[in-house]
Amino acid sequence: MSVLENTKCECGHQNAVGTVLCESCGKPLENNDSPDLPLEMRYDGVARRSQKSNPNIIDRIWNFFSSVKIAIYLIVLTFLTAMLGTIFPQENTFINSFDPSFYYEDAYGLPGKIYYLLGLSHTYESWWFIGLLVMIGTSLVICSLDRILPLYRALNKQQIRKHLQFIHRQKTVYKQTIEGDSEQWVEKFGAQLKRKGYRIHTEGTALLAEKNRFSRWGPYINHIGLILFLLAILARSIPDWQMDSYITISDGDTVQIPETNYFVKNEKFTVEFYKDEELPEKLKGKARAKLFETKAVLYECTSNCNDPKEKPVLAEVKRHNIVVNDPLKYKGLKLYQFDFDLTPRLNAVHPVLVNKVTGETYGPMDLPMKDSALQHKLGPYTLDLYANYMEFAIGDDGEPTTLSRDPVAPAFIFTVRGPGLAPEGEPYIYFPMQKDKVRFSQDTLNQAISDKIEIKVDGMENVDFSEASTYLNVRMDKALPYVWIGATFSMIGLLMGSYWQHRRIWLRVDDGQLSLGAHTNKNWYGMRSDVAWALQKIGITVDSKSLDNGGNNA
Amino acid sequence: MPSTFRYNGSIRSCVDIELVVISIMGKSRKTVQIGILIAVLIIGGYAIGSTLFGAGNTLLKEGSKPPDFKLADLEGNQQQLSDYAGKAVVVNFWGTFCPPCVKEMPEFERQYLKWKDQGLIVLAINLSEDTLTVNNFVRRFDLHYPILRDMNRKTERSYGLKSYPTTFFIKPDGSIMEIMVGGMTEVEIDERIERLLKL
Repeated sequence: MSVLENTKCECGHQNAVGTVLCESCGKPLENNDSPDLPLEMRYDGVARRSQKSNPNIIDRIWNFFSSVKIAIYLIVLTFLTAMLGTIFPQENTFINSFDPSFYYEDAYGLPGKIYYLLGLSHTYESWWFIGLLVMIGTSLVICSLDRILPLYRALNKQQIRKHLQFIHRQKTVYKQTIEGDSEQWVEKFGAQLKRKGYRIHTEGTALLAEKNRFSRWGPYINHIGLILFLLAILARSIPDWQMDSYITISDGDTVQIPETNYFVKNEKFTVEFYKDEELPEKLKGKARAKLFETKAVLYECTSNCNDPKEKPVLAEVKRHNIVVNDPLKYKGLKLYQFDFDLTPRLNAVHPVLVNKVTGETYGPMDLPMKDSALQHKLGPYTLDLYANYMEFAIGDDGEPTTLSRDPVAPAFIFTVRGPGLAPEGEPYIYFPMQKDKVRFSQDTLNQAISDKIEIKVDGMENVDFSEASTYLNVRMDKALPYVWIGATFSMIGLLMGSYWQHRRIWLRVDDGQLSLGAHTNKNWYGMRSDVAWALQKIGITVDSKSLDNGGNNA
Repeated sequence: MPSTFRYNGSIRSCVDIELVVISIMGKSRKTVQIGILIAVLIIGGYAIGSTLFGAGNTLLKEGSKPPDFKLADLEGNQQQLSDYAGKAVVVNFWGTFCPPCVKEMPEFERQYLKWKDQGLIVLAINLSEDTLTVNNFVRRFDLHYPILRDMNRKTERSYGLKSYPTTFFIKPDGSIMEIMVGGMTEVEIDERIERLLKL
């Protein structure tokens, strides 16, 4: 009960614990060591919402986050730890899957190893960094709420007739004895202030003039923006909200973008290099790309998307020629040109079968490097595909084998039946590439059958190959619009709070004795000149400097 | 009390907001405090939790849950890893172009025949080779466990494979007991399966 007694003002108003100035009349409540210095006007002297005489555990947590001092520590700590993340490259900046447990030690030695072991190689995704952001967010919400509500209340129900001590201890003060009718004087003075954009409230011989109160809400709107901003950043961890991956597509291929329903086709990749005369001396003779472009088509899968047995059904949604800084954009998905590879890749050949005895040719047939039809009929001949190899080699056991799954040195073994051949068929090995024919001596391997028939490709038009592969960077960031909204709010709040000042003038006339005090949250020079200007208009000339009652920033 | 709250009506701009403010300041203040703290716990807990447990595309390691897959076997039936929840599963990635993979295949066959009655599942995922190549291979070795066909390296990528063969020993609770990169001897396979089946 003793606490309650202490906070009761002489005007009869019951103030909350922690109140500095009586919420009603403005009389300073705290034991004052220096009764002549200007008052602390922050939040109009009202108590923070959470200030309580005997806090429980929830109040204590609340008070922790409500403290601006704590908020500043949190922000400084976040800045400092964010700096740690910039010492070595972060794990997520590497495109290829690499093993960080070896990389950091290999690249940077012991400091790198320590860096990795401390988890600083993924600073911004670490639990403690996200934890700091969450705490800053909490602090923003609670600090704002605890201050804006009492401030709103205090500004919304202002007592017009303030305590004399309150007026005399403002940073801008004017005292004077006035002649004539006090109420008329107050009215005349108020009319002048009105011309300066003040809103006037009078109560007998007391007056309150106020303008630009809205600028006080600026910091809180700014905080709402920051909270939105933080929430948007945290929302990136929601599945499907953010993606940053890389795909490689050879000319003519269609590739699914991992973890999406989209497929991309690279119709053709082209690269142009600078000619020697276009390059400066020291770069002459080097290949410098001038332009690289992917003719890309984006498809959306409409059915059979994850059915391994069926071919997915694709619907074209967008077509775009991707060049550097001109990505393909579709519903938040962006495909950027990233790199290229000019290694050609054989896709299919269309060979013919020649009867070496008669000279007749049959075909051509379609022979893709992968998943070819198992049987081909060419005139009187039937070719059954017995085996195929992507990179042909003879294994240690003497059996044919493949060294990789890319068509580097493809080979096909057919069982051929037809005129002049054994009725059960004869084996024929076919190398589509001339270099392999020579290297593996195709004719020797085929023995007798090579005198009877030959499978060969007639001209380059019967060879289907990809000249190049394109590397695309796939990005998606659904949180970005919210980041922008947050940033906009934040900027609006910042402007409101910075470009306008909340100014108030209180005055009262007691037995012809005028007491005037004025307060602003910034730009005291402007505050004083407003007062001096209005006094001038009703015939009192004062030097605006003489209104200065001292105090910081006044 | 009446004199305690002396409002000046002329300044009051919006009565509704004021009523809201008063109610927030007053009785429901505790509710608002608890509400905000709970919201912080949920949002913050989700954010921090997803950094600890989410992180879907980081490397698989012992104890983590392997990504599910849905692949066709040689008969054209769909097989899903999740179909075998509650069982000890060996997932082996192999290709005909990889000699240690080829060497392991008959060893897995013998191990499969040895342990299948105790509930062992072996799923051998081919590394996106073509049908004929896979069929020829399986015919040559006469394998009885399901051979699954990855397409366009999708499953292989989701498992973050770097070299072949790679074998995942998956516990009945669905988490990884061990990841073996590279070829194993039959004794090594046997010893691991025995351990897996005891779990």
